[in-house]
Amino acid sequence: MITFQLNNSAVHVDIDPDTPLLWVVRDHFKLKGSKFGCGMGLCGACTMHVNGEAVRTCTLPISAVQGAAITSIEGLGTPDNLHPLQQAWVEYSVPQCGYCQSGQLMSASALLAKNPNPSDDDIEMAMNGNICRCGTYSKIKSAIKSGAEAMRTQGSLVEIFDPVITDKEASS
Amino acid sequence: MKKASMTRRLFLLSTGAAATGLIVGCSTAAAKGRGYSAIAGAFEPNSFIQITPDNKVIFYLPSSEMGQGILDGLTTLIAEELRVQPTAIDVRHASLHEDYKNPEMGMQATGGSNATRAQFLPLRQAAADTAAAIRNAAAKQLDQPLDKIVLVDGQVMVEGKFYGFGDFVAVAALMPVPENSPLRSPKQFDQIGRQRPRLDALSKSTGTAEFGIDAEVENLYRAVVVRSPVLGATLQGFDASAALKRSGVVDVVKIKSGVAVVAQSYWQARQAAAVLELNWEKTELGSWSSDSIYNKFNETLNDSSQKGLECCDEGEGDKLLDQSATVVAADYYAPYLAHATMEPLNCTVEVNGDSCAIYLGTQNVQASAGAAVYYGDFDADKVKVHPAFLGGGFGRRGLGDDVAEAVLIAQKTGRNIQLVWSREDDMSNDFYRPAALVRMQAGVSEQGLIETWAVRRVGPNIMGYMLDEWVDALAPDYLNKGFVDWLSKLGRPIFNRFIADPSAGDGIYSDYDTPNKAVRHVTQDPGLRTGFWRSVGHSSNAFFKESFIDELAQSAGIDELDFRLANMKNNPRLTEATQLVAAKAGWGKTLPEGHFHGLATHSSFGSAVAQIAEISIKGTQIIVHKVTAAIHCGMVVNPGIVRDQVEGGIIYGLTAALHGEITLVDGVIQQSNFHNYPMLRMADAPEVEVHIVESQEHPEGVGEPGLPPLAPAVANAVFKASGQRLRDLPLRLS
Repeated sequence: MITFQLNNSAVHVDIDPDTPLLWVVRDHFKLKGSKFGCGMGLCGACTMHVNGEAVRTCTLPISAVQGAAITSIEGLGTPDNLHPLQQAWVEYSVPQCGYCQSGQLMSASALLAKNPNPSDDDIEMAMNGNICRCGTYSKIKSAIKSGAEAMRTQGSLVEIFDPVITDKEASS
Repeated sequence: MKKASMTRRLFLLSTGAAATGLIVGCSTAAAKGRGYSAIAGAFEPNSFIQITPDNKVIFYLPSSEMGQGILDGLTTLIAEELRVQPTAIDVRHASLHEDYKNPEMGMQATGGSNATRAQFLPLRQAAADTAAAIRNAAAKQLDQPLDKIVLVDGQVMVEGKFYGFGDFVAVAALMPVPENSPLRSPKQFDQIGRQRPRLDALSKSTGTAEFGIDAEVENLYRAVVVRSPVLGATLQGFDASAALKRSGVVDVVKIKSGVAVVAQSYWQARQAAAVLELNWEKTELGSWSSDSIYNKFNETLNDSSQKGLECCDEGEGDKLLDQSATVVAADYYAPYLAHATMEPLNCTVEVNGDSCAIYLGTQNVQASAGAAVYYGDFDADKVKVHPAFLGGGFGRRGLGDDVAEAVLIAQKTGRNIQLVWSREDDMSNDFYRPAALVRMQAGVSEQGLIETWAVRRVGPNIMGYMLDEWVDALAPDYLNKGFVDWLSKLGRPIFNRFIADPSAGDGIYSDYDTPNKAVRHVTQDPGLRTGFWRSVGHSSNAFFKESFIDELAQSAGIDELDFRLANMKNNPRLTEATQLVAAKAGWGKTLPEGHFHGLATHSSFGSAVAQIAEISIKGTQIIVHKVTAAIHCGMVVNPGIVRDQVEGGIIYGLTAALHGEITLVDGVIQQSNFHNYPMLRMADAPEVEVHIVESQEHPEGVGEPGLPPLAPAVANAVFKASGQRLRDLPLRLS
């Protein structure tokens, strides 16, 4: 039995301990926003936050997240309550096919949580693990700068990973 | 220029008249009535639009959204004529119905960059007729003259009073739907041509957009397939005993392409698949490696007894080549390429007795349904396709191979299953962009005009492989399967021996005013299956043509821009795009130390694109700093999306130009994932600036035309920087 926090709720799951976090979140908890792209941690489509760090979850065994706080794209913001970066993504029309964008947003939001005013080099460094086959890189860069500025002016914050827990039974 | 549509049509027209007539004439599920399920009380004037009593406007999107922005574009056309905000329209992916066939292709499919061009008038007409029907109903119901009824922003305004569309749907449903209602003129447009955030940006920025891989149905098991390391080999035998002992595994079954492992979770299925033991028979492809393929191409290129097939013969052909003041010849090569869509192929199948539902993202809803009918033995009207967003298409999705596997697994196991390909499955079981070795020759006059253009081309074709997939999936189900399979195999010999594959010649002889042209293609095919890869033949032919044009200009001692403009007097669109890009990028201006410009111009899919790449060289590394592009694509629906598509084509093209190469050793693909088939990443992505030529002409393609000029623009700049004329892709400095 592995227990962790998923988008601010305590969850537990009884599953092969080597199952990657990505598949647990997608197929066990039915949160489909995080994507499978390569299975080797090379493309970033599966990126989630593990204790605030952007991590490739297609290679991260579920046994490694015992007690950790996981945030997936569903925990970053919702259509009715967008994270400033998601707001910028929409304003800049960043997505084309959109498949990689959850991962891009999770990498970008982890960057801004640590570095509220990143330079071009900082952005390239943080985002280089995320492939976009449609070629949205320049818009991603612009949207990150715009989202960062919005967050600085709104004083909007770093995500919280020590919330009050409502014990939600894992549904499967 | 309707080259693109011709290409796709040709496959229908040239596959033997008998078969073609049958295919075109019969949809696999030719249901009558509307393409959607009825909603009680709704006004349902056509298969595209449904208006409910509570004022909801639903648009059924007939084309597949794979990133190219067609959801946004086509919804904008509906919004324009129906007088509704695009954001207020509920857009749904259309399931299979004959009303959703692409008018240029005659099939419900998305490709060839023609979705806007082909549907620009029909969809606006459908919306304009719907708007007229609402006005007629309002006039009748309110007993007002028609000219007092005005549609404004999704509402009906009558003498200063506002009503919802829904107030009149009941009456509208009882009246005839008008036909040929007048369309709004470009001067009236307030949606078409406007730049807005794209409509699918919100769902795709919140993880809520549903892709094929996100499908969930009751009692769903996950499946993976182990296929032959050499594509196309037949399975001799397998041992599943170890796999069956793995936790979660419920079935191991043999299907057409290999052996499927079905388990409770993807991870369990994937782990168990690794311990399957399989024996494959040897195939012809297994005797080929990249070196031997290249050598065979080269041998064929130099064997003049192999005449090949004619792609083009104009004027005196190549007869006068030697009479020109300057004669130039050079050989070029482009490798096989994989598509590498971000979303690996997948398909979810739910079987209920004699019916089945399939969930996937596909560029060809019709072939996907057809594959289920053919391989699953379902009646056509018992197959329901639930199309989803595509995590990239680029020509890969919609051949039916994913559906065939998934349906066979579901049938053999009697379970609802989701088949998911790994990245490795995707890379080694693609339909690859064909390799080609090409000899370019041209004769140029003293004045710098091209007099003769002669091309001899060697490589495999595409159409035969496409027909092998499509004929099976699209043939009417009353035909005997053995006959259909025999028919499907005819494509390769036909295109190898009798008709030049259109993609072989696409774009390699067009654009310039040359009076004498001879282009021939010799088929040389080791048996690696090929397919449509973003911009198809143009993807390599533009590299050959535009690199060679620079060689001609340089041997004539004429500036590369001037040389092109002097030789494209009959090509006004390309001329405009070329002049625009030259002005915007500052062709001829002083660049930063070590930076060089390269130019390339190319028309494809109805549009003309010119690009200038600014590069520098560090050791043997090519650094692309900036690409400036200009496109002439006729009227624009959403300029933001046009620019994104050109930029996307540039980035996709740059990945191929700098890194893209699929190689074989003894028939086995050597690339497996992004470590050995690398993609351009953010740090290496150039700044891209896209300019659009103002035009009121009919809209043309934008999804693909941005790609072809990129590789030659970079190669031409590399020559300026290094003196090395790189004639092989990917571009590698020595």
